[in-house]
Amino acid sequence: MCAFYVVTLMEVLIFSWEYPPRVVGHLADYVRELAAQLVKNKVKAYVVTYHDFLTGGYDEADGISTYRVTNPVKTHIGVLTWVLTLNQEVERAAANIYYDRSGRQISLIDVHDWHFIPAAVTLKKGLGLPFVYSVDSLEEHRSHGANSPFNMAIKSIEWLGMYEAERLIVKSDWMRDEAYRVYKVPLEKVVVVSPKSGGWVKHVLGVYQSLVGGGGVV
Amino acid sequence: MGARDLAVMMLSWEFPPRIIGGISPHVYYLSRSLARNGVKVYVVTCDFPGAPSREVVDGVEVFRVDSYKNPSPDFASWVYLMNVNMQKEAAAIVRSVGGGVDVFHAHDWLVADAGIGLKHVFRRPLLVTVHSTEIGRRNGIHFDYERMIHETEAWMTYEAWRVVCCSDYMVGHVRWAFGLPGDKLVMVPNGVNADVYARVGGEDLGGFRLRFALPEEKIVLFVGRLVYEKGVHVLVNAVSKVLSKVNAKFVIVGNGYMKEQLSGLIRGLGLGHKVLFTGFVDDDTLRRLQKCADVSVVPSLFEPFGIVALEAMAAGSPVVVSDTGGLSEIVEHDVTGVKVFADNPESLAWGITKVLLDRGYADWLRNNALKKVHEKYDWDRISQQTKDVYSNVLGEYSKSTWA
Repeated sequence: MCAFYVVTLMEVLIFSWEYPPRVVGHLADYVRELAAQLVKNKVKAYVVTYHDFLTGGYDEADGISTYRVTNPVKTHIGVLTWVLTLNQEVERAAANIYYDRSGRQISLIDVHDWHFIPAAVTLKKGLGLPFVYSVDSLEEHRSHGANSPFNMAIKSIEWLGMYEAERLIVKSDWMRDEAYRVYKVPLEKVVVVSPKSGGWVKHVLGVYQSLVGGGGVV
Repeated sequence: MGARDLAVMMLSWEFPPRIIGGISPHVYYLSRSLARNGVKVYVVTCDFPGAPSREVVDGVEVFRVDSYKNPSPDFASWVYLMNVNMQKEAAAIVRSVGGGVDVFHAHDWLVADAGIGLKHVFRRPLLVTVHSTEIGRRNGIHFDYERMIHETEAWMTYEAWRVVCCSDYMVGHVRWAFGLPGDKLVMVPNGVNADVYARVGGEDLGGFRLRFALPEEKIVLFVGRLVYEKGVHVLVNAVSKVLSKVNAKFVIVGNGYMKEQLSGLIRGLGLGHKVLFTGFVDDDTLRRLQKCADVSVVPSLFEPFGIVALEAMAAGSPVVVSDTGGLSEIVEHDVTGVKVFADNPESLAWGITKVLLDRGYADWLRNNALKKVHEKYDWDRISQQTKDVYSNVLGEYSKSTWA
């Protein structure tokens, strides 16, 4: 059945706060691999990410269009304020892709982790673009269950993402159960795609296809 | 735009009944007056206990959004978190009216994120009114927290098609603070609604006045937040100098972090019976107080506009203001009020005493001030000027490509 998924060319926006060459954890390489695999499957992938020094940069390598934005507010008191002001730049880059590059042909957004969820939500509400929230990690585990106002703020953004997303893609059964335990996200919204499994990209594509209206199979 | 009216979406962190400072009445009166002048106005603002999430107020469509009610690490983080909700809801509203919003109009950095985000998502021009600046409020930028806010303000003015300021002083200040080109700035004064004072009853004011002062005491009124930039400590230092010439009661309306310090200073000077701290009072009480004040004092050290002076003038109270910022423009010395040196208790005491001891002079100031209020600071006139700014921006917008 795999071959049938890719008949319709789809254009997808991918948001990630890390992307090579700026590697913070393992998410950067995962997103890069995802984008590359999508391109191989005839999906047009636009990646919007952060970079301090390659800012304003647009490059197209191996079929992946990458847009790097920087924070217009240089001074910050923490990662929370840093992320929240950066989101408007993500919106700007995404809107420019939507109007100019894609000719309004973007089908959906795939947002990785919490950082750019505010941008995905505004774009959904404003332009009617559905989004997938790909969960790599959750604040619950990163901060070992701490509930300071800072942690609560990040959790509230994760909650917003789960509430507004059409689908959650998580990487393990354990994470699916945790998303349910911490946020009570309806399980029918959650799809487990292990990046270690064979055909994982087809699986991701299947999730995308299900949001675009099920078209594409001839 | 075709047959449709020009439509604007106002973004403001406060709108009645949520009143924290001057932005709330400003956005209320401006929106109301714009709506009367044929502009479709949507206001998106923070929620408030008891206020509906959606209503039509005097022809203005008001939307109140969840303002993020979890505990926040600090005020600025709350502002940015609130903006996530504000732009989410605002984006949905714009989409629900078929994109029928021509201009986004944001008021201060408190809604900068939302205004900038909406501008790009819908590709409509952003107008910004800078009511105040961090560098002005703090008299410089000293900490990262302040610098972050300052840079957010700079970013907002960068993204704005036009930056509106309420006084020539603020035009110069904002231009300096953010290094803006002169043609990006436009001055539209703040306004005052003189009608509300005309409606405040006259016959019962004698009894009302007794709640605050003895019949033989003149009332010296201060209205404002009790914070350093408002210069209320200068007034406190002028109290005994005034009292050596004339019997008066100093009524101080408002709250702020300096309250304890100031009342301690008053007690130390043995003047507790001459100075009354009322805290925050309701609109009606405030207007009646402004009507019975023998002089209203605005001793600010930093004042972008000085709406409280204008309100006093509309209420028919003579004003003594420090010669600084927007106050310098509102008041013409010896004609519509008295200007004194800022941060100078002797000078302030001189001005207060002069008004209190010369009835004829006080009436002269009072009458001239009232005339000026109707001439220059009428909301219909101001909304027309604002509408002209929108039209100019849209004219430029229609001739340009989005880049």
